[in-house]
Amino acid sequence: MVDVITSNNRYKYAPLLDQMHRDRKTVFVDRLKWDIPVVDGQFEIDQFDTNAAIYLVATDPKRQRHLGSIRLMPSTGSHLLGDVFPHLCEKGVPVGDDIWEVTRLCTAPAPDIDPRPIRGKLLMALCEFGLLYGITTFTCVTHVQMLSTLLAVGWECEPLGVPQPVAGDMVGALAIKISPSTLQMLRQRMASRVPVLQLSDVAEAA
Amino acid sequence: MSLFDDVQQFVREANRVTEFDELSRLLDGTIREFGFDYFALVHHSSVYKKRQALLSLHDFPDSWENIFRDRGYFFDDPVLVACEKYATPFVWTDVPQLVSLTPRQREVLDAATEAGLGGGYTIPIHIPGEGTAVCTFSTRIGRELPKATFPAAQYVGCFAFEAARRVASRKAPASLGLPREQTPPRLTRRQLDCVVLAGRGKSDRDVAQILGISDQTVHHHIEEAKRRYDVATRMQLVVRVLFDNHVVFADLLDRGIP
Repeated sequence: MVDVITSNNRYKYAPLLDQMHRDRKTVFVDRLKWDIPVVDGQFEIDQFDTNAAIYLVATDPKRQRHLGSIRLMPSTGSHLLGDVFPHLCEKGVPVGDDIWEVTRLCTAPAPDIDPRPIRGKLLMALCEFGLLYGITTFTCVTHVQMLSTLLAVGWECEPLGVPQPVAGDMVGALAIKISPSTLQMLRQRMASRVPVLQLSDVAEAA
Repeated sequence: MSLFDDVQQFVREANRVTEFDELSRLLDGTIREFGFDYFALVHHSSVYKKRQALLSLHDFPDSWENIFRDRGYFFDDPVLVACEKYATPFVWTDVPQLVSLTPRQREVLDAATEAGLGGGYTIPIHIPGEGTAVCTFSTRIGRELPKATFPAAQYVGCFAFEAARRVASRKAPASLGLPREQTPPRLTRRQLDCVVLAGRGKSDRDVAQILGISDQTVHHHIEEAKRRYDVATRMQLVVRVLFDNHVVFADLLDRGIP
């Protein structure tokens, strides 16, 4: 199941969020060698991990273990694409109440965890969240090597610009369109018929 | 139109295609704008291990296609080897640095030049669980590769591949873009085992020992496979089975018993 963590309910999830930042550090800094800040030598936290961020976090049934997560930022505020990578957008950074940015898709790096079903749940959660909150577009920044894997999800993706070199790798910005048929397609591919989002104690999104 | 406009237009139209030939025409038009002459989109996924939709779209001259197939170059194409090893795009002139070339592999590169292919820009496409796909854009001899378009071309390649997968998944899995009547002959698991091992250069006796069956049974399986494919020699059988995507190149490298 996937929980929605906002500034209003994050106090209930402190240990889980700590695990998330630790796992992000292992995946993005230790393994992928991204040049991003690490706090206290153990947590990957950057300037966009603020109260404006919403996290979709996949957990075990007891909510004790971070299995995977995604970070969402409204395009109307400070976000990675708008602040750091606007040059990846040929026709301006997409901004709107119905446009949010997706970053830090991460599955827990433990050897006993198969990342694929978790990734599948996170993608369905992303879609469910979008439909519930009236989000039509998710923007993201991706290394071009990941593009085919991203496209293989089967959703409708549009490039926002031609890829550019960033720290030695080619990186590009994309817009993912979300509609009810996107959720239907994902559920079919994942052979799932039930919602994955847990919304019992979520206050309104920012 | 800027390069990005070309990419954006390609993506929008590729999202709407429903047939391989539509996609081919669209892709051909776009890459010509960029300054390339030919494209190839290839995804050989092994049904030997598990069934997958398959792909082979290109507009190479017939002469090159025939040479490639008749000489069995698929086994020895160093561009395919480089794609299996690397995740970032490369140009054909890089290949000798990426792969330590055997004489036979060098022959493939030379034959491409002789057939009029000047340079190539190849994009390896790796999708977890689905093996390796290849997208190549190339130029005729005498024409320079349009290096300034490479990042845009990489996007076009990835989106083209996804569009092709979408079209392929709507058709029968074994069709490879061929009309449905032309699905390839079926082989049994045991027949495939024998063909793969023979393709690795094993004698009937070796194959028999590996599979734990008799020499005569191996001979029988291979003869039956040849009969189903209506070919005269083992070499022809292995090449046909490869092109019909029952096995992939990697199965024929001796990486242990499947």
